[in-house]
Amino acid sequence: MASYSSEEEEEEELDYTNDPVWADVTPLPQDDGHNPLAQIAYSPEYTIAMSYLRAIMAANDHSPRVLNLTSDIIGMNAAHYTVWGYRFKTLMSLDRSQTLEDEKIGWSWRQELEWVQSIAKRYEKNYQIWHHRQLIIDHLDDPTGERAVTGEMFALDSKNYHVWTYRQWLVQRFQLFDEEELAATASLLEEDVRNNSAWNHRYFIVLGRLGEAGPEEGVVERESELAKEAISKAPQNPSAWNYLKAVLRKGGIELATLKPFCESFAPILSPDEIKSSHALDILSEIYDEAGDSVKAEKALELLASKFDPVRKNYWRYRRRLLGSKPTPASDTPTIQATA
Amino acid sequence: MSEIQDPNASQQLGLADASGLSNQRSQKPPDPVPTMHRGLPYILDDLGTETSRKQLQTARSVLKYVNDSRVPTLDKTTHIDFLIEPLEDGLSRGFTGLDASRPWLLYWCINALALLGVDVGGYNERVVSSLKPLQHKDGGFGGGNGQAPHMASAYAAILTLVVTSYYESRDLPKDRWMGVYARSFGWIDRQKLLDWIRKTKLRNGGFKVNEGGEEDVRASYCALVILALLGYDEDELRGDVSRDEKPLLDGLLDYFKRCQTWEGGIGAKQHSEAHGGYAFCVLSALCLLGEPQDVLTKYLDLDQFISWLSARQYAPEGGFSGRTNKLVDGCYSTWVGGCWSLVEAAANGIESSGTGFDIDSNVGSLWNRKALARYILACCQDPHGGLRDKPGMRPDYYHSNYVLLGLSAAQNYYYYDNAMSLPSSIENSPFKHGFCWKSSRNVPKPSTSEGIGGGWEEGLVSNERSRVGTQHPLFNIPLHAVAEIQEWWGVAKGAEIL
Repeated sequence: MASYSSEEEEEEELDYTNDPVWADVTPLPQDDGHNPLAQIAYSPEYTIAMSYLRAIMAANDHSPRVLNLTSDIIGMNAAHYTVWGYRFKTLMSLDRSQTLEDEKIGWSWRQELEWVQSIAKRYEKNYQIWHHRQLIIDHLDDPTGERAVTGEMFALDSKNYHVWTYRQWLVQRFQLFDEEELAATASLLEEDVRNNSAWNHRYFIVLGRLGEAGPEEGVVERESELAKEAISKAPQNPSAWNYLKAVLRKGGIELATLKPFCESFAPILSPDEIKSSHALDILSEIYDEAGDSVKAEKALELLASKFDPVRKNYWRYRRRLLGSKPTPASDTPTIQATA
Repeated sequence: MSEIQDPNASQQLGLADASGLSNQRSQKPPDPVPTMHRGLPYILDDLGTETSRKQLQTARSVLKYVNDSRVPTLDKTTHIDFLIEPLEDGLSRGFTGLDASRPWLLYWCINALALLGVDVGGYNERVVSSLKPLQHKDGGFGGGNGQAPHMASAYAAILTLVVTSYYESRDLPKDRWMGVYARSFGWIDRQKLLDWIRKTKLRNGGFKVNEGGEEDVRASYCALVILALLGYDEDELRGDVSRDEKPLLDGLLDYFKRCQTWEGGIGAKQHSEAHGGYAFCVLSALCLLGEPQDVLTKYLDLDQFISWLSARQYAPEGGFSGRTNKLVDGCYSTWVGGCWSLVEAAANGIESSGTGFDIDSNVGSLWNRKALARYILACCQDPHGGLRDKPGMRPDYYHSNYVLLGLSAAQNYYYYDNAMSLPSSIENSPFKHGFCWKSSRNVPKPSTSEGIGGGWEEGLVSNERSRVGTQHPLFNIPLHAVAEIQEWWGVAKGAEIL
């Protein structure tokens, strides 16, 4: 949940005690209480910087020097949410008084964003960095270049939860439900068809964002084709199967339409030819809905004994539930998926 | 305190010693390794990608540990040393990155020690003095002295206090018992804390972690745990209309509902990828607000959730992953493993009420307890103490706590008892359902269709020295500590101490 700070810092050293910029500040020491547990033996640099921060915060000081102080501390502890929050307030305060982009300060929103990205690359698992970026981009009301920034991060870790959270916010905030976004997910899936984060994002931009509304014509067909192609490449990939099921559900298409497709990966009478446990899983559901409990049981039995034995108890539970769901009335018209 | 500081603590506690393994061997031959732990999965796709390469690499490395008929004993002594050291001796500057998570450090280490059978009551006084400087003047708790209040800091701080005050007071006569709780909780400004939590409430029904901070279901879960353990009642949560306050929990259940994803799992917020950590937050939060069989069916598609949850357990590893197509990690022993008690309680409730008779039907375990225990004992123990994500990773305090909590989930049957008699002080609590959980060492096998019991699962704890303490499935602290803190609020309110 929290990242450890790296000990190799390349930040320029700030000399709070001798620099006249800080002469008016009386540092406030930390109160760790009497005989505290799990005390941290900070470096002298961290102790001093934090004692200046406490004094600055107590005085509600949002002058430009706060930028140096907060970046100094963040360089030593990137998970320091109080410091991030105070830095953002300071940036906003300078922005309001139109001094942020002043030459004397030598800082700008662009520089801030570049600096944030450099920290992000150093500390990949961090909540604060991406929230800070979100606050800034929201304020600037301009998403230019932001997709590229997340792209850089996906090159390091294409499943980074914090970065995906930010990307989703970006897409929602600026309504970027466009071809570029679709192509971005396609390209990530091209690289790694098992990237579940990319599948999740694709579901979000194509179907999830619709809420209760139904998808446009052709979308369900296009997405189920995409999933089926992915399955053909790697039949044991759970992401693609889950996606296929979710697309059909959203499109109001019955699972039974998948029967031939699933059977091609999991012929239950020829267990040696079974290429996908996920196909077996879906087939057991399809057979059950059709009232064919013998075949449904066979599929579950194969899963428990051979194809997914660690989940034996779950498959047994599924057997217990067989026949408990109302079967769809045979006169209900069903929409046929284009297989 | 003596048993903690005494270097011979392990002997007094009757823990593992160097001869543990040979003792085990002399008793009876170990069970053969189940087939699933002896090789790679039956199906492996030809197409290799980054995901499958990492998975294969992990499975191969883990196989060396799990494919051994001698499952190691839990080496409590070295783990206890690993956890006591940071508390007593402090942490090096390498831990500066956790300076905004000081209450977490206390909770992880102290709860893990409690799981290992250590009496942590001796720490209570120092826990109080360590946490006092973290209370913010405007309410709530920061991650350190002078830091802004944060939901996770308050959560971890309260949990720690509930644990250590329970241990310190548990054998004391009533008046001294009261003294311990008054000293441990009397200094917390409950009104200001509530006021602060109100500032984190979102219009969509959820909460954010702090003012100006991010929104996720973790914040909502932590808020509910704080409110439940500090004994806030309906009236307090309803708010003061004259101050323009709205009921604090409004919209929360529907907010959780929107966090279930297309995969069946639960994400950090709406549209986020399904993730074990957030799934646990939502399941526990829901079960704080109602009976499992009601809330987990009304606000979730339970069948889909179970399917997703079940898919988190891998072979040959035996452990859980947090997301689809990600690797196993010991900490999901809690986040995923902890969900199972709640899910099973719902499934049992549904089946029992479906019989039409007054029969307690039981679906049995829906997951593989032994496989998880094998992963934990064989892969997550660092030989120099502490528990870890997987072999090759360094142990840490976070993993130590959540791996052991997961082991407790595997070893015990945690169940919801809707007939449990509650003290009158809890009857008015919006969280009363959260106080109806019990534990048993006997894990039932599925009952037959006639509702007849199927007996108990055998061999879940292959060696008694590997047994860890019982924990509350929603709060993740020792089970009995939860009843005691509730009793305290009943006493405190009755005596108008508040």
